[in-house]
Order: sequence, then C-alpha cells, then structure tokens
Amino acid sequence: MSKTLILSFSLKNTYRVNSILYSLKQIPILKRILPDTLYQERGLKIFANVLSVLWEIISVFIGKLLYLLLMVFGAGKLYDRLPDMQVFLHILLFLTLIGGFANTKMFDPSKDKYYAMILMRMDAREYTLVNYAYAILKVVVGFLPLTILFGSLSGLPLWLCFALPFSIAGCKIAIAAASLWDYDRRGGVYNENKLNRYIWIGFGVLLGAAYGLPALEMTVPVKLCVCLMLSFIPMGAAGSYKIFSFQNYREINQELLVQQTNQMDTAAQITKAGVEKKISADTSISSNRKGFEYLNELFIKRHRRILWSATEKIACVCAACIFGAMLILYLYPEMKHEAGKQVKNCLPYFTFIMYMINRGTGFTQALFMNCDHSLLTYSFYKEPKCILKLFQIRLREIMKINAVPGLIIGVGLALILYVSGGAYGWMDYGVLVVSILCMSLFFSVHYLTIYYLLQPYNAGTEIKSGMYKVIMSVTYFCCFYMTWLRIPMMAFGSMMIVFCVVYSVIACVLVYRLAPKTFKIRS
Amino acid sequence: MRFIIEHLSKHFEKKEVLKDINFTFEEGKIYGLLGRNGAGKTTLFNCINRDIRSDGGTFYLEADDGRRELRAEDIGYVLSTPTVPEFLTGREFLKFFMDINEKSIQNPRTTEEYFDEISIAPEDRDKLLKDYSHGMKNKMQMLVNMIAEPNILLLDEPLTSLDVVVAEEMKSLLRSLKQGRVTIFSTHIMDLALDLCDEIVLLNHGELEVVEKSNLDSYGLRDKIMLALREEEHE
Repeated sequence: MSKTLILSFSLKNTYRVNSILYSLKQIPILKRILPDTLYQERGLKIFANVLSVLWEIISVFIGKLLYLLLMVFGAGKLYDRLPDMQVFLHILLFLTLIGGFANTKMFDPSKDKYYAMILMRMDAREYTLVNYAYAILKVVVGFLPLTILFGSLSGLPLWLCFALPFSIAGCKIAIAAASLWDYDRRGGVYNENKLNRYIWIGFGVLLGAAYGLPALEMTVPVKLCVCLMLSFIPMGAAGSYKIFSFQNYREINQELLVQQTNQMDTAAQITKAGVEKKISADTSISSNRKGFEYLNELFIKRHRRILWSATEKIACVCAACIFGAMLILYLYPEMKHEAGKQVKNCLPYFTFIMYMINRGTGFTQALFMNCDHSLLTYSFYKEPKCILKLFQIRLREIMKINAVPGLIIGVGLALILYVSGGAYGWMDYGVLVVSILCMSLFFSVHYLTIYYLLQPYNAGTEIKSGMYKVIMSVTYFCCFYMTWLRIPMMAFGSMMIVFCVVYSVIACVLVYRLAPKTFKIRS
Repeated sequence: MRFIIEHLSKHFEKKEVLKDINFTFEEGKIYGLLGRNGAGKTTLFNCINRDIRSDGGTFYLEADDGRRELRAEDIGYVLSTPTVPEFLTGREFLKFFMDINEKSIQNPRTTEEYFDEISIAPEDRDKLLKDYSHGMKNKMQMLVNMIAEPNILLLDEPLTSLDVVVAEEMKSLLRSLKQGRVTIFSTHIMDLALDLCDEIVLLNHGELEVVEKSNLDSYGLRDKIMLALREEEHE
C-alpha cells in the first residue's frame, strides 16, 4: 500500500512539475530565455518541485477556505433576519449533499488516474483506495480548522465544529459507496464530469433550497440539520465497508477513463471537431458569386448558426430589454429622471456589453478551424493580394454581423433617453448611436486584425501565441474596467468615436503592411 | 528546368537541422526523400514552401533562358494529413480553386472530368469535405495540385494510411504528373521509394545526398540506404 502511495505521489508530482515547466515555457519573454532542455535543468526542477509541494499543501485549504467563506459563511451573512448559526448549518447541509455528488474524489476521470492505471498498469484497486483515502484525509484535515473558525464565528458549539469535517467526508463516502453498489446492481459507472439531466435538476433544487429558502426566512430547523449532518458519519463508516470490499475498480476506471484516452493527445482536435460541427449540413446552400466572394458567402451561410443566427438572437434579446425598459418608464413615470441620468453616465458600461456580444472570437476561430487551417497550406492562398482581398471581405462581413445588435442598442438607448426627456440636444442622440456603432466596429476590426497579425494557431489547431493570449486578456480587462467608469455621455462618446476610428485605420494599415508575412500557420 | 537550393540552413535552438544544403533537382523526375525520424524532411519542405523562415539560403528555378527566384505559385505541397476546407463540398472547393487560379490554369476541364480522373464517385462530389474519408481528402488535395500544374510538387508522406486501391491510384497519378516538373516525395517506406521514385535522396546529418544506383539491384540499393542511414547511430 505504501509503495502505491509513494508511486502515485511521485507520478502526480512529475506530471505537475512538467506542467509547471511547460507553462513557464509559454510565457512570451521567458520562453526565449529558457533553454529547450528545461526538463533536464536541476535548478528549474527543484523550483518546480517546491511549487508543486506548496500547491499540494495549499490545495488542502484554499478551495475549502473560499467555499466556506464565500458560499456558506459569507452568503449566510446576507440573510440578516435569520440567526447566523441557523443559516450556516442550513446552507452547509444542502451544499454538502451537492458536493457529495459533484466532487466524489472517486469518479473523476483525471489524467493522473489515466497515467497510473491505464498507461502504467498499476493495481487499480490499490491505487484507487490509497488515493481515495488520501483525498478523504485531505477533506477532513482541510475542513477542520475552517469549520472551527467559521463555525465558531456563526455561534456553533465547538464539538459540532469538530464533527462537521467528518460529516462532510462521511457524506462523500456514503454517496461513493452507493454509486459502487449501483454499479454492482445495474452496471453504469457514475461520472461526476458527465452528470445526467436529473442530477442537474436535483442540484438546482438543492441550490434553490440552500439559498432560496433563507430568503423566504425559512430554514431546516437547527436540530434537524445537526442530526442529518451527524448521521452522515455512521453512513460514511458503513460506506467505507463497501468501498474496501468492492473488487471491480479496474472495470469502473477503465470505463471512466475510456473517453479520457481519446482526449489525451487531442485536446485541440476536440475543439476542432466542435467547431466543425457548427458547419451547416443544409444541402440547399449555394452561391452564385466567384472566387473569394464565393468562398466567403458559402462560409457565412454554412456558419449561420454561430454568426447571423447568434447575432439575430442577441439583437432580439436587446430589443426585448429595451422594450421592457420603455414599458417600465411608461408604467412608472417617476423613474424617468433616474433613467435619463443613468443613460447619460453609463455609456462606458456598454463597452463591456459590446465586448460580450460581439461575434469576433467565434468568427476568427471558425475561420481558422474550418477554412484557413487547410487553405493556408496552399500557396495560392498565401499570396499577398489574396490575403488582403479576403481580409477586406471578412472585415465587411463581421462588421455587418456586429452592427445589428449595435444599432439596436444605440437606437434603443437614444429612445430611452428621449422618453426620459434627458437629452440636451440632437447631438446627444447622435453621439449615443454613433459611439455604440463605433464600438461594434472596433471589436470587429480588433479581433480580425489580431487574427491576421498574430495568427495564433499551429497545424494542430492549438493556440501557440503567448502574445495573442495576452492581448485577449488585456482586451477583457480593459472592457471590464470600463464598467467601473462613470463618464458623461458626450465626453465618453466623442472620445470613443475618435479612438475607434483611429484604431481601425491604424489596424487596417498594419494588416495591409504586415499580414502577407504574418498570416501563416505557426510552426 | 532545374530546381536549385543554395546554402539552405535551419536550426532550432542548438540543433542544426539543415546544414548549408546545396542541391539541384532535375525536371521530370520523382525524388524519394528518405531520412530517419526527426531528420528534418518536413522542415526542408516547410522552408521551401516558406512556412517557416530559414536561417539562410535561396531557391531558384533554372531554365535554358536563365534563372529566377522561386515564387509561391511554383510550389504545390501535399501534406500527409490532407487539409481541405471542411465547410465546402468537393465540387465547391474545385470551383473556388479554379476561379482563383483562372489565369494560370492551362487547358481547364470541367469539374466532372477532374472528378472522374481521380475516381471520386458522382454521389460524393456534392458532400461536405468534412465528411470525406481520409483517402478522398487526399485525392482532392492531389487534384488541386494537379490542376495548378506547379513546377515543384512537394509530397510529405502522402500515401501513408491510404488503402491499397487508393494508394495504387495515387501512385499512377504521380507517375503521370512527373513530366515537366520536379516532384519530391518524402516517405518512411523504403519499398514505396524504390518502386515510385527515379532518384533516392537521403537527408542525413542535415545534408542531402543522392544514393547512386550505379548497377545495384533493388536489394543492393536497399542495403546501401540502410547502411547510410544506420551510420548515424554509430557516430
């Protein structure tokens, strides 16, 4: 047993150390400094090992800390009309039940299990039991200081704080044992990453009970909560017997990991297959155009689901929201003043909304996976005039697609402003509509430009450009930051219009200058 | 016409994959490029096709009227994993390709004739390429390279994982295509190289060398190739 434990630890550790080294090699500047032989470098390995051990220790506590702090204790504080202890126990009870199913520690098809049991042919029963025992130990050790801390803060007696980690572990063991028993009886393996519809509905109900009932000032009585939580301990003890006596771990792991084996080398291919599925199989689709316009029209028509259909749905939702807002203003005229004030100050917020609804990333991903990935291997496709011609066509298309919800939001906001009587003049309306349209233009240009200038994918359809990832994150954070800004509409709108137009011009010039060299499959 | 590589070199970090390669390929021949795994065959093709930047070197096409630098349209590149635009049907891909290369395609034929030539059944011609089998995708890729009539045809293990019938069809197609161009065919399968290729070129230690057939029969040639490739292990 102890040999299995040491082996599985060292396997997991090696895997983790190599992952750390691999991630280091992905950081843009660092990757030039680090040698190709980094997996042999002793110093780097020690560094990664230290990180790995630290992570192992931190991981015992960090998730549980956040869970108890935010989802149980913190969330409980929101219900200030109910006693802390009552809410704490109520939420913990329901979430423990969800956790018992969602985080079993046994039915999770992870890579280390695949390596150990399938590739290295370790004894499945021994491996599972040793790792399961270790995982359960981590549950108890990790929760103990935290239940004492948050339990005491909520007014729970100390003995109960001590007992709760064992209850949580007991619940997990009981559910795992029940799943094994079910396997013996019916043969299906429970996979916590592939939950069926009924379990999701069950989770919804339990979540509703956990957070919804206290909002209605209802909770499970404290005594009943305590009894139920404590009953998990003997149930867990009984479950342990099943877990120890169960013999078919090899079978269940084989079944659990069989899908994982397909995923091992082909994470990128799964993404590719996913994008390929979005191609419409409608045989009536055709085009009368020629050359690149022909290619483009067929592409747009066959990807209607992720381009036009998606944008139409978004546009409908936006229109419905605006209609709803107008209806509220009609029914409650006293809100008009506040609404007008909000519209005038909230324009920066709409940068984030436009970011969220633009189709740029989906478009460029489909462009690569279903089109450029293959065509870029043909020399005619890489000729500068062809690259630029197609860029022009694609920019026109994505601008049209993004402009639809942009126009609706812009006009809708102008209408709300008009109804609330808040505008100073027609210029206000103009700036509002134009600036929102400019934002949609910006995102269209931005994503396509970045795609043409950095072309981040390799032949295996993996993203290989660190710079691309950095720019994507920076874009997100900038847009997110905008949600905190409150700038008068006229000032922000005018700045946005100027920025978007200047950015678009510069971006297009850059593409015309550089794309013939940069737009190729990464090696 | 001759295809000339001068002073081509390429390294990845400290590893020199291609070392100052100088080589001349003659028109009308199929060159079998053999090398151990990791010898740099695909790197050589990628450098010629400008998919990766080489450290140095030039490529020329030389004819009786002088030499000029190699252009993108001179090259046709067929990869081992066939790449075709999944969202188009076979017929649409062909039409698109012919539209774009309208000016350079001499004696264009109808799409039906082209499909007949590579034996793609009428019922498959209007299917999406994503639903084509591996062999059919490969045929499509060969077909567009055939239509474009490039001066240089690079084939990176194109017959691996094809069924015997398709592989034979492709072989005869390649033989019929070799006139008027340089065909370089990389493979791991020695029988295929000996059967199909007019010249055998080894990529060894980052250098290209021709295996002189002299008067050797197929077995003698095989031994000679094995010896040359194995030498590497003893160094």
